[in-house]
Amino acid sequence: MEVKQNDLSLQEKLNILADAAKYDVACTSSGVDRRGKKGSLGNSLSAGICHSFSADGRCISLLKILLSNDCVYDCKYCINRVSNDTVRATFTPEEICTLVTEFYRRNYIEGLFLSSGVVKNPAYTAELMYRTIFLLRTRYHFNGYVHVKAIPNAPAELIQELGYLADRMSINLELPTGESLRRLAPHKSPSSILRPIAQIQSGIENYRLSIGKERKMERHRTNRYLSGTIFDTAANPQLNSRETAGLLPPHTETPARIPPARGSGSGPLPAVREGKPFVPAGQSTQMIVGAARETDFQLLTASQYMYQIYDLKRVFYSAYIPLNEDPALPSADTAPPLLREHRLYQADWLLRYYGFQASDLLSEDRPSFNVLLDPKCDWALRHLELFPVEISRADYSQLLKVPGIGVKSAMRIVSSRRTAPLSFEHLKRMGVVLKRAKYFITCGGKMMYRIPIEENFITRQLVGEDRKTAWELEHPDSYRQLSLFDDFHFHVQPQPDDLMKSATGQL
Amino acid sequence: MTVFTCEDSPDAMLTCIYDAWDSRLGHRNIRLMLEPLYETELFCSYRHIDADSEKAGKVVRSIQKKISPGAWRMVYRCAMSSNPEKLEIIYRFLLYGFAYGSPALQMLQEPAVAAFFELDRRTGNEAHRFMEFIRFVSFPGDVLVSHISPKSDVLTLTAPYFSDRLPSEHWIIIDDTRRTAAVHPRDGEFYLTRLSQEEFDRLSAPAREDDPYPDLWKGFFRYISIKARENKRCQRGFLPLWMRKHVTEFEP
Ligand code: SF4
Repeated sequence: MEVKQNDLSLQEKLNILADAAKYDVACTSSGVDRRGKKGSLGNSLSAGICHSFSADGRCISLLKILLSNDCVYDCKYCINRVSNDTVRATFTPEEICTLVTEFYRRNYIEGLFLSSGVVKNPAYTAELMYRTIFLLRTRYHFNGYVHVKAIPNAPAELIQELGYLADRMSINLELPTGESLRRLAPHKSPSSILRPIAQIQSGIENYRLSIGKERKMERHRTNRYLSGTIFDTAANPQLNSRETAGLLPPHTETPARIPPARGSGSGPLPAVREGKPFVPAGQSTQMIVGAARETDFQLLTASQYMYQIYDLKRVFYSAYIPLNEDPALPSADTAPPLLREHRLYQADWLLRYYGFQASDLLSEDRPSFNVLLDPKCDWALRHLELFPVEISRADYSQLLKVPGIGVKSAMRIVSSRRTAPLSFEHLKRMGVVLKRAKYFITCGGKMMYRIPIEENFITRQLVGEDRKTAWELEHPDSYRQLSLFDDFHFHVQPQPDDLMKSATGQL
Repeated sequence: MTVFTCEDSPDAMLTCIYDAWDSRLGHRNIRLMLEPLYETELFCSYRHIDADSEKAGKVVRSIQKKISPGAWRMVYRCAMSSNPEKLEIIYRFLLYGFAYGSPALQMLQEPAVAAFFELDRRTGNEAHRFMEFIRFVSFPGDVLVSHISPKSDVLTLTAPYFSDRLPSEHWIIIDDTRRTAAVHPRDGEFYLTRLSQEEFDRLSAPAREDDPYPDLWKGFFRYISIKARENKRCQRGFLPLWMRKHVTEFEP
């Protein structure tokens, strides 16, 4: 079906290019604080803002669109692949700028998430994206949040220039092994994805160093009270080669490290502009769950690896939704693996906030998450020798390992037990989920009830509870609302992208 | 039992707290309640307190000095809540606050402190949700107008945020229930005002027909959802029906 571009109204283009962009999950606006300024439109809040929730219960924070759904590549799983016969549309840069600013003024959105198919070739596409964002920042004086996708194989100069205009950049890993990538995304190679990731990482580091910050991105402040988190060990990752076998190799040709400014950019890239923000909200990536044969263990290991080696701010997971019939893909009637996706998010939280490593949770011999138990309960039941812990003495990291105690309640316990001894009733008021925690704690030397600390017994009790969550996740049409406020016990407002995946068991 | 009562305004509540404290009747023998009182009890005596900005100012300064500036922000947020018990909750917290200073903010074991935190959290959350779900409609003269019907009095909790965000726009946020408005002239500071019936009607006119953006937005909103993941319950949990009243994408 050939439809002439100029036959499409702005509304039609918007519908088509939103429809084509919706499978990208990272619709967040968080990670950077920027005050507004007179004469400009917009500001940015690091906690992030969610403006609406679509019918699938996902948060809408940004105008998430493709610049074009025209694409010369042929990634098997993608609706826009060149071999699909669909209506193609392309925005002009001005159309995008007008939509962003007019939507923003009406408080519909926090900013823009711009991705694109590969129109003509990567350089051409990246140039169009650059023109759009440049116009938006300079002519339209837009000071709100901008997230841009880096196009694989785009010229390094354009990625660099985009980095100075965007708050966040991302390139989707989609498939974490070279083999799956070859099979399902024949035009992409590991290096076409990892080279830009490494380049953006080095841009971020240079910017951070130039303003006197540490090289690595800040992590949640409570990580300070933990030792051996994935971020501490990032310099020396505890991933052995067996675990990473088959995963994308680290990108070895280090991009020319750019000495902080002082003129002459002799390397292949323009010199760092001292103090000029470069991707200040960090970079993120996304992996598809269930398109290829990767196990949970491989996916989670890949995430840890991306956090450690490339200092990514976030990794997102997207349950595979069959859009194309293809012998290389799962059959078209496959239901999206929402429970697997959910377990991966839970485990990802355990890596980023709870001091766990991927290898604590899964292994080559046990490569899949427990269907019936969340990863933290599952871990605790395999480590009963560490329990029960005494609430009046256990340190923060021990408290965090208790199922039913989250970051917020652990902090509260540590600060309030100084003034008076705590009872089970107090714990409940502080947000501890006793129906889980009671098997693993003592208060003043006593357990809540006389409960045998015995694996089979406790498992039976906990499974009954988590089964409900699991069932509800697999049946989204009837699943109840679960709130992250209750589940993770955070002081801070969870970020919108977390909220949307907050269908979590109490960790 | 002596009951101190006052109208629902920050100055009156703070004055009421001042006088209740100053009465030396013993904290156990008094209660603080907001007017109007729906029923009175037989064995209580009631004392109405009028706002006195000098006494109110003293209370604010003591909270800032003896507890912390953060505690004052919490008290203010709680005072904006729609909870009819808020005055009593604030007072019971202040007993701990003035006795222990800032460490009182850690004493979550105490029901009075916990109740205060809970009230603050709820009001803060409601204000935050209005930062998210407020929608402006474009009026002639390039004025952006928004109507809200919040439970709590969130105007002063949200307007500073929009001043930072839309500094060079004319905008007005109207609380339909209270008939109050935050008005922000382009490149100026916002101020609070009460709207006359006539002003209110004029600012309640339906959206301009020649504004294409509400429809463009509604189209986007429909197409961005993934059919295979549809989950209206989850959507309702995050964006309750009562909050959708003035939200563009949920208009029929
Ligand atoms: S490059 Fe691949 S994933 Fe991206 S739009 Fe083209 S076909 Fe789809």
